[in-house]
Amino acid sequence: MDEWKPNPAVKAHKKRSWYLAWKYKLMNQRALRKLCQTGAVLFLLVTVIVNIKLILDTRRAAYEEEEESAQDYDDEMLNVEAPRHPVNNKKVLDVEVYSSRSKVYVAVDGTTVLEDEAREQGRGIHVIVLNQATGHVMAKRVFDTYSPHEDEAMVLFLNMVARGRILIFTIKDEGSFHLKETAKNVLKSLGSQVAPFLSWRDMWTFVGKKGGEVYGEKHAKSPALSTWGDPVLLKTEVHLTSVEDAECHWPDTELNRRRKRFCSKVEGYGSVCSCKDPTPIEFNPDPLKDNKVFDVPVAVIAGNRPNYLYRMLRSLLSAQGVNPQMITVFIDGYYEEPMDVVELFGLSGIQHTPISIKNARVSQHYKASLTATFNLFPDAKFAVVLEEDLDISVDFFSFLSQSIHLLEEDESLYCISAWNDQGYEHTAEDPSLLYRVETMPGLGWVLRKSLYKDELEPKWPTPEKLWDWDMWMRMPEQRKGRECIIPDISRSYHFGIVGLNMNGYFHEAYFKKHKFNTVPNVQLKNVESLRKDNYETEIHRLLGEAEVLDHSKNPCEDSFVPDTEGKVYVMFIRMEQEADFTTWTQLAKCLHIWDLDVRGNHKGLWRLFRKKNHFLVVGVPASPYSSKKPSSVTPIYMEPPAKEEGAVAVPAVAAAEQT
Amino acid sequence: NGAAFPKVRGSQSGQDSTRWHVVRKFLGLTSSHNIPVYLIDPLILGLVDKDIEQIRSSPDGPNPECKYFCAPRDFTTFALLDKTWKYEVGLFRTAEKMGFQWLKIINKDPRLDGMDDLSGMEIPLHYIFKLASHAIHLVVFYERSGNFLWHGPLRLKQHMDRKFVPFQKLHFGRYPGAYEKPELLLVSIDDLKVQIPKNPSSFLEEMSHSRFLECRYREARAFFQLYPDDTSHDAVEFRKKAKCLLHLAALTLNNLGVKFWLSSGTCLGWYRQCNVIPHSKDVDLGIFIRDYKADIIPAFQNAGLPLKHKFGKVEDSLELSFQGEGDVKLDIFFFYEEDDHIWNGGTQAKSGKKFKYLFPKFTLCWTEFVELKVHVPCETLQYVEANYGPEWKVPVKTWDWKSSPFNVQDNGVWPIDEWDNVIQIY
Repeated sequence: MDEWKPNPAVKAHKKRSWYLAWKYKLMNQRALRKLCQTGAVLFLLVTVIVNIKLILDTRRAAYEEEEESAQDYDDEMLNVEAPRHPVNNKKVLDVEVYSSRSKVYVAVDGTTVLEDEAREQGRGIHVIVLNQATGHVMAKRVFDTYSPHEDEAMVLFLNMVARGRILIFTIKDEGSFHLKETAKNVLKSLGSQVAPFLSWRDMWTFVGKKGGEVYGEKHAKSPALSTWGDPVLLKTEVHLTSVEDAECHWPDTELNRRRKRFCSKVEGYGSVCSCKDPTPIEFNPDPLKDNKVFDVPVAVIAGNRPNYLYRMLRSLLSAQGVNPQMITVFIDGYYEEPMDVVELFGLSGIQHTPISIKNARVSQHYKASLTATFNLFPDAKFAVVLEEDLDISVDFFSFLSQSIHLLEEDESLYCISAWNDQGYEHTAEDPSLLYRVETMPGLGWVLRKSLYKDELEPKWPTPEKLWDWDMWMRMPEQRKGRECIIPDISRSYHFGIVGLNMNGYFHEAYFKKHKFNTVPNVQLKNVESLRKDNYETEIHRLLGEAEVLDHSKNPCEDSFVPDTEGKVYVMFIRMEQEADFTTWTQLAKCLHIWDLDVRGNHKGLWRLFRKKNHFLVVGVPASPYSSKKPSSVTPIYMEPPAKEEGAVAVPAVAAAEQT
Repeated sequence: NGAAFPKVRGSQSGQDSTRWHVVRKFLGLTSSHNIPVYLIDPLILGLVDKDIEQIRSSPDGPNPECKYFCAPRDFTTFALLDKTWKYEVGLFRTAEKMGFQWLKIINKDPRLDGMDDLSGMEIPLHYIFKLASHAIHLVVFYERSGNFLWHGPLRLKQHMDRKFVPFQKLHFGRYPGAYEKPELLLVSIDDLKVQIPKNPSSFLEEMSHSRFLECRYREARAFFQLYPDDTSHDAVEFRKKAKCLLHLAALTLNNLGVKFWLSSGTCLGWYRQCNVIPHSKDVDLGIFIRDYKADIIPAFQNAGLPLKHKFGKVEDSLELSFQGEGDVKLDIFFFYEEDDHIWNGGTQAKSGKKFKYLFPKFTLCWTEFVELKVHVPCETLQYVEANYGPEWKVPVKTWDWKSSPFNVQDNGVWPIDEWDNVIQIY
């Protein structure tokens, strides 16, 4: 049991989810036992086993933590090595590729460019891209195609690679379980004979030129379900082309010089390096009239996810009213590739020596980035804080330009955020509508300098406190009852699925269906009503106008809300005191919105949309708006689930914190 | 284009006209790239200042002779505000085409120095453009926290050509410097349109004591490794109040035109940990007695800081204390200069005892502290050591101003009949 093996019940490759899955698995076993009713003896016996399992498991987890702490909080390993020695005058490269259950390596001309024999990580298909003229490593990826959707990412990546590059593939442990037809076909089109037939625990290596010849392929079939194929070692030669052939001949401009530098170094960014019709790296979006945030610095917090950063910066630089001179990208660590991306776009980047580990490290990186931002732009009263895994709405700066004066004038505000935690496709509707909420959503937000300098910076959690910066900022000691302004439809979109607290499943459940504004120049409605006192008037007006829903119906059912459009409805739920979110959490669950902790509330009131109607939820009697409840209406109470399942939710919340 | 002076061509030597030509070419270069430079050359500004009234009144008037830009010198110095400009390769290409040789001096960005291990791109601090026998020194100014401009020192790296120009003759770059943001004026001198500081004489005055000291961030980090920072609620609150009080004091004294510096515990805090010492209970400033003004007390009172006590008198051991918000006190010590040392005085209210605190002579430098441009003694180490002794690096929580300072001396007792005057407590 101490051996690690792919287990169908264990899906995600992240340690934490793996741990979670273990727990789920245990729960299921328990449920089974209940059904079987085999009595106390069996129960005890199994409990003992389970406990032993748990102890071993915890030990292992602790061991992994240690191992991982030395690493960075990202998963990818990109171009960590210095470029290999130039091989310009040599025409042939010797390539060695090894695939086995517990180890993979790739050596080019005797230099190891990939070596992974770490336990319990690096499962799946490793891909290396070499420059066909120099032999330099341009990209290094691993796709855990044992898990779902990773094959899609691989296809995406392979399509991005320019024709003529050398591609090297090798499998570690297992790479076929979720390798779907499409992916197999792509590998086939690269010249692989084996790929279409790759199966469970096969070992496989392949070297070929994209759109060209195959240099070699080796394969070892797994003889039985419980065992792995024999290790394979492929030795082959690759013929180099001339530098001229490997480069594009773009017109000599300052932009193209940046492009050339980038494209000769890294791979996997697709059309930006296309010879014929490269995608622009300068966007010149329309300027904003009367742009109140033109001089507000923008801090982009990044780790080592250069492809994310690339996507993020593209959307940021395409947003109307963006001012590239105010953008600084803060990279947590000495990574080359993210810096290459920053330089491609002609922005300034700052690298941050890693201190501390994991959450605390992210937190320290945030602090350093914010302090540096206000140092670099001493005149700034605000800073926009973004992360590398966000898409930025085309009207992001327009949204801020229209609302920033509130943050300056209304002291009861904590932040303006571009993200509505409850703004899903089915619950957000109005791009011109803003809310006040007691929670701090993050994911694209504006920080007031005085708040940072006078309150947050002096007591920012020190590295030894392993706190998440955003959780810390949400604590009452920091927030002090202040609220954030958010839009109904988010102005940012969280696309990251590889992160410290993030995995594919989690992302799909909580982020994928988030609504994201794509309409330019949205004129925000009645911004003044967001001021502290005005907002109360506004809420009372809304409640006065709202139609009380039929409380005898099930609020989870679609029919709970009539088939109308543009109306305002209110429902009342039970909320005994300020911190009683029992019913809300159940309601959130069945409405398929954020339910891992409480978000989006304002004095016991939640505002969202259902079927294109404004839908208000008031917690009675804790909310001051309870007085609007007609005496005939009994607030709805929803039962929390049984204890056992409840216990599962605890680690889930921990996993919910966004990176 | 024929824009040369008859006189330049005629009676003045080739050397003189070369200088004018180089400046003209440089101004052409910068304006073609929309780079707003302004003249800070002390020599030329000195000449300009003599005729400033006339130059101001006739911004376009023709000049009969080449009076300024032909004056003998090795360099002409211009300034550039970093934020008005984005580095462009194009500028240097054009410069080369025009025949300029150029040199760029880059270094670390001090605005990131205070940070835990951030490394940004190095920033350009100085440029030198050389043409024929003349050179243009372009100093890059950066905005810093505290609403001032900063320029870096000029340090040559190993591979650089030490004979490119006579570097030791440069007017800027021996030390980093701090300046107020200047108001500019577009003038026409020697038939060249150029921006200059609106008030050249006050700029030159400012330049003469512009030396800037960076806080010792690395040492401060080491200090906090040894003695972790206090982030308790009380400490955070005190720092906030102390910062507020210091800002208010600086505003008040600057308005009066009274020069001051960080003294005692506040100076130690800056030097040792680049921050306010959270367990100190007050903010300490020093002022030379020659800068004393009677307006100081009413000015502070008007700023909302009532006088708490006044010890001594202008002729001897003057010390003022003002009550800031929430128990934080502002102490102002007046310093008396002697031939070989400087001292300030102390008075014990109940006994009338006098004390004297001796310091080696010092000059003043600018620094950045809690988002403020303030003075500190340039010879900070000697100052701090005089005050706190060789063990100044070790935090001390119990402090007696009469016995703890390393440099305290008994200085007799005030005569009883003077007590009403020299010991005033409110």
